[in-house]
Order: sequence, then structure tokens, then C-alpha cells
Amino acid sequence: MTSGSKGLYLDDLAMRFGGVQVFEHVTFNIPPERITACIGPNGAGKTTLINAVCGVFRAQSGRVFLDGKSLDGIRPHELVRHGIARTFQDVRIFPYLTVLENVLIAMPNQRGEKLRHLFRPGGGVSTQERRHREDAGALLDAVALTDAANRPAGELPFGRQKLLSLVRAVATGARFLLLDEPVAGVEVELVPRVMALVTKLARVEGRAALLVEHNVDVVREVANQVIVLQGGGIIASGSCDQVLRDERVITEYLGRIYDA
Amino acid sequence: MNNLQVLAIGLGLAGHYALVAVGFALIFATLRIFHIAHGTVFITAGYVFFLLHRAQGIGLLPSGVFAVAVAALLGLAIDKAVYLPILRRGGGMFSVFIASLGVSLIFEAGFLAYTKGVVSVARTGMLDILTAGSVTVRSLDLAVLAIVAMVYGLLYLWLHRTKVGLEVRGLTDNGPLAAVVGVNVDRTRTHIFLLASALAGVAGVLTAYDMGIGPDTGTRTLFVAVVAVILGGMRNLLLGAIIGSVALGILTAYAGFYFPEWLTFSVFITMILLILVRPQGLFG
Amino acid sequence: MEHLLYIGSLMCVWIIVSVAVNLVIGYGGMMTMGHAAYLGIGAYTAASLNIFFGVDYFSAMAIAALAGAAVAALTLLPLLRLSGFYFALATLGLNFVFFDLFHNLAPRVEGSEGLHGLKLPAALASADTRFVTTLLITVACILAARHLVGSPFGRLLRATRDRPEAVASVGKNPTACQITIWTVSGALTGLAGALYAATLFYIDPTLFTLNASILMMVYVGVGGLASIAGSILGPVLLIGFTESLRFVGLPSQFLGPAQQGLYGALLIGLMIFRRQGLVGKHDFRE
Repeated sequence: MTSGSKGLYLDDLAMRFGGVQVFEHVTFNIPPERITACIGPNGAGKTTLINAVCGVFRAQSGRVFLDGKSLDGIRPHELVRHGIARTFQDVRIFPYLTVLENVLIAMPNQRGEKLRHLFRPGGGVSTQERRHREDAGALLDAVALTDAANRPAGELPFGRQKLLSLVRAVATGARFLLLDEPVAGVEVELVPRVMALVTKLARVEGRAALLVEHNVDVVREVANQVIVLQGGGIIASGSCDQVLRDERVITEYLGRIYDA
Repeated sequence: MNNLQVLAIGLGLAGHYALVAVGFALIFATLRIFHIAHGTVFITAGYVFFLLHRAQGIGLLPSGVFAVAVAALLGLAIDKAVYLPILRRGGGMFSVFIASLGVSLIFEAGFLAYTKGVVSVARTGMLDILTAGSVTVRSLDLAVLAIVAMVYGLLYLWLHRTKVGLEVRGLTDNGPLAAVVGVNVDRTRTHIFLLASALAGVAGVLTAYDMGIGPDTGTRTLFVAVVAVILGGMRNLLLGAIIGSVALGILTAYAGFYFPEWLTFSVFITMILLILVRPQGLFG
Repeated sequence: MEHLLYIGSLMCVWIIVSVAVNLVIGYGGMMTMGHAAYLGIGAYTAASLNIFFGVDYFSAMAIAALAGAAVAALTLLPLLRLSGFYFALATLGLNFVFFDLFHNLAPRVEGSEGLHGLKLPAALASADTRFVTTLLITVACILAARHLVGSPFGRLLRATRDRPEAVASVGKNPTACQITIWTVSGALTGLAGALYAATLFYIDPTLFTLNASILMMVYVGVGGLASIAGSILGPVLLIGFTESLRFVGLPSQFLGPAQQGLYGALLIGLMIFRRQGLVGKHDFRE
């Protein structure tokens, strides 16, 4: 895997916080049209990995390449434009916006966000807004949030806010979605919907997803490749089967053999 | 008017600011309340003192002590009647700040209506003038500084030798944590407001006696004190307030003589620059 | 009757100001305590252009709006990196900074007989036409503001108010949004300043002090944050009420203090009991 290939390529990333080396020598590629999962125990640095890719914290060493181009120096709000969107473990939806508005706001290239279009007759704002509402409605439908569309998002229980933050990230249209524990806290009956949505994103829309997850069952269902982050580095990577049968992974993380 | 004289005047002003500044810092550092109404407490003491001493002819000391007591109780009352209800209903720093502004508006309006904007000076009689080289001071200036120093000394003892003082210093270092370690935050809070307001009260009495007060003197002095606190930082309450007050005293004295029409501008540009460049103060 | 028209014009001016201030506080989440500066900039710009350069007043008003926008943007930029409370404190300082600037540098347009040399067009010259014109301009501003807050930009603005970092995570620039709304607010306030000068036929620096900024906060606070209707209600009710105080028989020297005391009490009452004001959709949190 070279820095010239397609995909979101992490090259020898290392992250250190106040004396603790969270991880180092992290190198792998997140290819398009595929679902990559990153598993590992709590505190292994999975969320920190996403933060490092998004430039929230400066990595001590290593770089991130998107389709061969370095992401150095890109400001947080420019990431989506370059094709990367992420979710947060603690959700961070807009509490005083409605559920629908939370999705709408993520739509890219909105004419109505520019004053010069707003105050020009024939600015095309309402047409575009109408179309966006349809798309947003479809997304809400995919995760069973349609009934809550006009409620303030802050009123939703955590699990549904999790779903909202997922479709909000999807709505950005970004080709690479970094999803931090997308099913943690979600109602059990709705987990299949998440898996279906993520699978569709990859297979149908050709987007890529990085799933940071604890839920090994989900990982087994949807992931094309799995990275295991533990003890400050990657201890295994490969297809699901390979990784889940890897001895080191079993002893240090899973504790048992995962059978189909 | 030479620079040494301006310096002397500045130091005199610093004395007036220092007591207000340290009280304000005490409240902000421990309780995170931006107590604009502290200026109101300051000026109320001044007016009470004026009323008793000048208007009613009551003696200097009893008037002063009574005025300080009124100030202490007023400050406490503001916290209990205005700030605590807001905090209990989920209001935050901003809401408290705005309410504090409201309190100062009410009192300022009252004083405006009552005095019609005339400056009230509580002092009667002539003052001794002392000269040292090119500098002239009044004996009153030295007396004020002596009183300020004395009060400061008492404050230091209180902060470092009493149990409550220790708890207060604990709050300064780490507010929420102090509450966990068994510090009675409510009682300490009461002590803080009483003490800080009393300090402002002393300042009010001194100012009313020395320079005179008008309805807006409270807010104006308060803002200078705020800038002094920002400048001096709140890591060491006493030292920070002194350093900030001396700096602001010299600034206002200097500005007052050389560019009085830019005095307000100077003070607030200093504040804005400080906030932008070093909000924790020179020693924070 | 002329007095009523005068009060009506004043209400309109303060409605525009309240809408402008509510845009940044209620919708934008930025606490401004120094907007009086922009009001003054608008007033002085329009009056000076008209008196000293013979610019017709409507053009002068337009330029006043631009001046308000420019000064607003300039004063905001250095403050952007400040967190909520320090930001508010700095804007408070702006009042005093601009007061001295107006006092020392502004052209001497005040005089005992008012704005000597101010030439108003027919549409602003007499009390009744002035009221109608001001009212029309006010309605236009209200409609524009409503259009703005109901639009995708308005949505982005509210999101910026709530969670700026999350706004960045969906690919939008929260800072650009803040600068935009602040500048729009500055333009509206500058325009209101120009109308203010024409209505009062008098301006001096004491009109644009912290007291004026507090007044704006009271109007917005009473009406309610994040509500255009609130920004209309607030000034109408309060100006109406203080006007009626005149008929209550208070000696005139007490009118000012009574008003100030009332506003102080209102602020306290609002903060304790009803932070969202009358019809607000948001409250002073934090």
C-alpha cells in the first residue's frame, strides 16, 4: 500500500498524550467501497485514531493521505469538502434544532446558506431546500426516526440521537465516513438498520466506512477488513475470519474463539 | 505638575481601587460571579456615610462603621436575593452577570433621583498639606493609605490564619473540589460576600470622605477595579489586586492630567488588550 | 399628535435595533454588550455626510448602514478567539472606547438647536411622513430578518449557536457564519442610527453609551431571545410603558431614573423568573 493509492491511508501514525504513548506505527488503508472495522479494548486509542485523522489533535508522527494527497494543514470544517465525515461517541447533535434540521444542516453546497442567493429573487433556494428535505426524509426513514422529525433533537433518548448523528454524517455526502461506535446504545431492533445502511453506502454508493466498534457480531456481519488496535499498536489486520482466528487477538482481546 | 506628583496621586488612587479590586477578585475567583453590583455596594456605603456624618452630624467612626456594616449586609443580600435564586433555577454566569447589572441600574437610578447628580463630599474642614521635595500630599492621603494597608493586613491574616480563610483559599484553587472535601460552601459563600462587601464599604467611606461620590462613581470605580484584577491576575488575590490597582492608579492619574478626554478610552482599551493578550493577568 | 408620531418613529428605530441585536444574541449565541457603538457610527455617519457634504439623506443612510457593517466586522475580528464570557466583557469595553472616540473625534454636529444644517428629504422632513417612511423601512428590515432566520443560513446560525465544533464536523464554517451575522447586525444597527438621528434631530455621544447597550439588552430580553416577534414586542411595550409614565404625574427629574430603575428590575426579574422573555425561543443559558 503506497501513499499514491486510492483510499484514506494512515501512514505510521503515532499519538502521545502527556507521557502516555497511545499508539504508534499505525499504518493501514481504508479503501473505498469497503467497510473497515477497527476493534480493540477500551482505551486502546480507537477514538483517538479518528481524532488524529481528523486533525483534532496533532499526531506526533505519521501522515494521513486521501487518494494520495496529504491531509496536512486542513482545517476541521474543510474535511467534509475533502470527503471525510465523522461521528462522535458522545453524539454531539444540535439539541435545539429539530431532528430533520440536524440532517438538513449537513447537506453540502446549500445555496440558502449564502446571503447573496437568499436575497436574490430566483436564487433557487426553495427548490434546492425541497429536494434536500426529501433526501433527509429518506435518511430518517432508514433509521426509523421519521416520527421524531420535528422534535428538538435534544429530547431524543441517547440511542436515537446516535442514529441521528449517523445519518447526519451520511447526509454530508462524504466518501469516507469515520463512525465512532455507531451501534453502541442503539436499540437492539434497530441495529440491523444501521448495518443495512452502512452496507448500502459501501456497496451501492461506493463510499467507504471506518467502523470503530466493540460489537464483534456487527463487525462480522458487515466488515470487509478488520484492524485490531491494542496495547499501543495494531496487533492484527486482515479479513474478518483471519483476524478473529488470530491467536494473539484471541488471547489478548477476545478471550475466546469466535465461531461462525 | 510633575511626574512624581502624578505618581503620588496615582498611588493615592491605587489605595481606593485596591480594596474594591480585592473584594471583587475574591468573589470572582471563588464563586465565578462577575459581581458588577460590587460597585453598588461600594457607593451605597459612601452615601450612607455621607448621610450620617455630613448630613446628620454623627461622628466619623460610628458613621464609618455603620456604613461598612450596611455594605456588608447589602452585598450578602444581593447574593441571597438575586444570585442564588438564579443559580438554583439553572441560570449560569451570564444570567447572574445581567442580573448584577440590573441591581446596579436600580441603585444608580435611586441615587440619581436622590442627589440629582451632584457630587457629595463627606469631609468637612481643612486638610494639612505636606510637602516632600516636588511632591505635595495631603495628610488625608497618607491616612487613607495607612487604613488601606491595615485592612489589607487584616485580610491577609484572615485568609491565612482562620479556618474560613483557609476554606476560601481552597475554593480559589479548585472550586468544585473544595465542595467535595467537606468545605461548607454555603457558609463560606456567606463569609466571602460579607467580607468582600465590607472591604468595598471601607473603600466607599474613604472615597466619600476624600474625593466625593456621584451616582455613577460606583460603576466607574468598579470597572477600573475589574481591569486591575484582570491585570494583576487572581493566582494571588492580595498581590494581584495591589499590583493591578497600583498600575491602574498610575494610569488613571497620568491620563487624568495629560489626556483626560481619553481617560475612559485608556482604561478600557487596556482592558480589551489584556483580555486579548493575557486574560490570566501578569501574574496569573 | 406629533408627539405620538415621534414616539412611533422611535419605536420603529428601536425595533430595528432589537432585531439586529437579537440576531446576534438570540440566533447567533454571541453576547453583545457594545452595539451602541454601531448605532452611534450610523448616526454620526449619516448626519455628518448630510451636513458637511450635502449627501442626500437616503444615500447617507445607506452609507451609514455600510459603515455600521464595516465597524462591526472590524471590532469583531480581534474578539473572535475569546470565549463567551471574556467576549462579552470585551464588547462591554467597546462602549466606553467608542464613547471617547465619539466625544473626541466625531464632528461637532450637536448644538443647542439640534442638528444644525441637517437637510432631510420630504419623506423624512415632517413628523407624519417620517413615521411612515421609518415604518416602511422597519417592516422591510423585519421581513428581511425573518427571511434570514427561516432560511438554511438561519439553521446554520442556530447550530453555530448551539455547537460550533459540531458545525465544523458537518463541513460548515462556524466562524464565517458568526462574522456574517454580526456584520448584518452592524448594518441594521447603523441604518437604525441614521434613522435615530433624523427622528431626534439631535445626536451626542451620551446617546451611545453602555446605557444604550443595556437598553438593547432589556428590549431583547423582555421580548425574548431568538424571536423576531419578541424584538418587536420588547421595544413597543417598554417604550409605550415609559411614555405612559409621563402621564402618571411623576416630576420630570424622576422620569429618567424611574425608567432606569424599572429596567434594572426587569433585568433581575427576567433572569430569575423568565430568561426566555415573553415569546422567546431560547434563553440566556450558560
